[in-house]
Amino acid sequence: MLLKKVLIEKTIATGLQTGADFAEVFIEDTTTENIQLIGGRVEKANSQKIFGVGIRLALGLQSVYGYTNSKNPEEILKLASDLSKSFSNDKRTAAIPLGEPDVGSHHKARINPRTVSRSRKVELMRSAYAAAKEYDPVIVQVAVNLGDVVQNVLVANSEGRFAADERVRVRIYVNAIAGKDGVMQTGGEGPGAAKGYEYFFDELDIAEIARDAARAAKTMLFADECPSGVMPVIINNEFGGVIFHEACGHSLEATSVAKNASVFCGKLGQQIASPIVTAIDDGTIENGWGSANFDDEGYPQKRRVLIDKGILKTYMVDKLNGRRMNHAPTGSSRRESYKYAPTSRMSNTFIANGTSTFDEIIAATEYGLFAAKMGGGSVNPGNGDFNFAVSEGYLVRNGKIAEPVRGASLVGNGAKILWNIDMIANNLERARGMCGSSSGSIPADVGQPTLRVSQITVGGKKGAK
Amino acid sequence: MIMMNLELLFKTAKARGISDVQVFLSDRSELSIEVFDGELDKYEISASSSMTIRGVYNGKMGTFVTEVFDDEILPQIVDSIIGSAKIIDALEDAIIYAGDKEYAKLEGLFDETLKNQDVAEKIQNVKKLDKAMHEADPKVTTVETMYSETTRRILLQNTKGLRLENVVNSAMIGGSAIVKDEHDQRTAFDLIISNDPKDLDVGPLADKIVRDAVSALGAKPIPTGAYEIVFKPEALQTLLSAFQGVFSAEAVHKNMSLLKGKLGTVIGSPLFTLVDDPFMKKSSRSRSFDDEGVATKYKALIDKGELKTYLYNLVTAKKDGVVSTGNGFGGSIGPVNLKVLPGETRYEDMLASVRNGILVKDVQGAHAGANPVSGDFSLQASGFVVKDGVIGAPVALITVAGNIIQMMKDVVAVADDLKTGYFGITSPSVKIKSMAVSGI
Repeated sequence: MLLKKVLIEKTIATGLQTGADFAEVFIEDTTTENIQLIGGRVEKANSQKIFGVGIRLALGLQSVYGYTNSKNPEEILKLASDLSKSFSNDKRTAAIPLGEPDVGSHHKARINPRTVSRSRKVELMRSAYAAAKEYDPVIVQVAVNLGDVVQNVLVANSEGRFAADERVRVRIYVNAIAGKDGVMQTGGEGPGAAKGYEYFFDELDIAEIARDAARAAKTMLFADECPSGVMPVIINNEFGGVIFHEACGHSLEATSVAKNASVFCGKLGQQIASPIVTAIDDGTIENGWGSANFDDEGYPQKRRVLIDKGILKTYMVDKLNGRRMNHAPTGSSRRESYKYAPTSRMSNTFIANGTSTFDEIIAATEYGLFAAKMGGGSVNPGNGDFNFAVSEGYLVRNGKIAEPVRGASLVGNGAKILWNIDMIANNLERARGMCGSSSGSIPADVGQPTLRVSQITVGGKKGAK
Repeated sequence: MIMMNLELLFKTAKARGISDVQVFLSDRSELSIEVFDGELDKYEISASSSMTIRGVYNGKMGTFVTEVFDDEILPQIVDSIIGSAKIIDALEDAIIYAGDKEYAKLEGLFDETLKNQDVAEKIQNVKKLDKAMHEADPKVTTVETMYSETTRRILLQNTKGLRLENVVNSAMIGGSAIVKDEHDQRTAFDLIISNDPKDLDVGPLADKIVRDAVSALGAKPIPTGAYEIVFKPEALQTLLSAFQGVFSAEAVHKNMSLLKGKLGTVIGSPLFTLVDDPFMKKSSRSRSFDDEGVATKYKALIDKGELKTYLYNLVTAKKDGVVSTGNGFGGSIGPVNLKVLPGETRYEDMLASVRNGILVKDVQGAHAGANPVSGDFSLQASGFVVKDGVIGAPVALITVAGNIIQMMKDVVAVADDLKTGYFGITSPSVKIKSMAVSGI
């Protein structure tokens, strides 16, 4: 075990000694390996060993958090004692003794990254490099990054919760740069999974991924600047789901809801979206990028239907924000590492399939933008205003996909866009992302079928059409 | 401070064929406080250490980062350095540096007053900010305030006999407010960063945040078109932060920078000068040496529009036959404190000169909407209409799009209102001749 049970129990008891009503210990042991290949040569390679203990105490709505990467029992107990000094409450809460930890049985990795040689990893990267470079002479540079993480966590709390989980994740990024006459454009792909190297060896066609990155870069090199103005936008499946993640997902996290800082406060049971919209956050998808057996408070991850046919069904809630909201936790508490107190976060979030087809949506659009691939984006949860970048776009004219356009971004308001979704296809796919928020940067899947938003502001360099 | 037996590490590494080793130890302690509705909501304390060990094996650099410091980790460190060095086939050989003759003596990086200030006083100051924001305007519905303080000690030591140390502390106090009227809801956020408690004056900060939020109520998109743009310092800094990687010589060598082949050419207006100032006072980023042990230097990257230098570490400098600019950080290359030098135009005069434009106070989404390879950007923006020199209605949900080089060339005025912001970048307001704006 990462830390002796008797020390964990003693730490919890120390945390409770001045009257806190909740104490939690989070222990993490993580190893990572990252390799960078640029221009066909391995430029950088490094490995990392992370270890630390995070202690959280709460009394009512007030919480304190501290961490250390000392393994020394005296220093860990001193941290618990220092933190406990924030409270003085006559009523004492006794900790429920810990049994044996629950151990996660899903999302297993068949080929542990630590058993794969570095040279075998480099072979994978070289195959990606070659496929992208050979795609076309305009591809002037290809950068490939390969990373893997093995994170072991142990969470225990004063309510007797005790859980152990191993999270294994692998990911490859291929970035292709196309250049001509001093102009450069990029295309990128970054597939990954909560799996071991079986994902690369047996499942993923790395060359295909690399060619797709090169194809996007070349397409954008010869694309015209995107026109600007308000128009219908067809957002493609897979990473197109970042729209829901940014525009609505963040505003459904207790982090903003509990503090009355979300546009969706007090809207449970109400219609907040077009009736064709059903949205789900599911942390239980087998080997999903954002999946885990337990959340970072040690409770089982769950499948949460956030919006059912336009009606808001639940928020994503962690333990302490749940106290403020009078809402049961939903297994949604996550954190990047022991350096962060956990809070409510998304896992694998997606819009469910609709009844249209991709072809029907294109055919039904006289003029608009088809956002084939999205970049990232951000949202202000306080008023729901969002932006995101289109990394590969095309104009749609007379019901057909027409010329490619580059440099487009979309801006809008989360609460409004949910009402403006007027067609949803039946081709749901998910894609990998890293989501940054108050508890750090965590892996999260986004996803959706291809869908159409009846009107949205498109920003480009070209000016009005 | 956690200390590994470095002598044993160096000895073990040499015995296994690692020619030179350098350790970079970072010890960090942090305090953070959040207040919500007048009450202490969150309180965090931490102490953590991280050591980056780099070793040269057969001319290539292997790297291992550890948060575990017992002697039992030593074999893993050495194995890992050799294992990662073995797969590297970069053309350039790795370098561990013996050091420079002189390093700048930096003052004011560590403030004793801040260190000695009572925690209760710090909490009180955040509560004061919370209260002042709540009381500043009846339209304020929600306030979140926070304080954080970091002390970081770094130690660099290598087998070529170099040993360098640096200690800095810094504090940040900030708040965000949500304001509402019958029709609209807006937010604003601002902060002060300094290691001098005297600078953390919450009264004016509270007023500014609430004023920013209230003045944005009713903000709407404006018609799509080309407008004159005045970027406030915060907006310009967000934009520059997305493009700071283009100055890296590594990016230039790898064909990944739009500045390739542009040394000595004009890439900006004669009014535009951008420097990297590693010695800036009260900046927690200031350093007299970089992570490779090279002495840092003050230099102009763009001088009156002309690109003067890239940023170098040891390996890229050797390749170009120049000396390192002391910008090797974290195994990569980056600036310390970027600064756009102020101009002579008064901010008020700059605004008065605008015929049909937008005062952009904030841009969002630079991590995705700005492409550091192509230089293109299209970013969500908010601010105010400016018509014939007069500030008018608030604007939101528009995008401002362009190319960073074209934008630097189109700078027609640089103001005198220097401010240091969130990204560690310092700049005044600038006026751009014309940019594409998308609205309704």
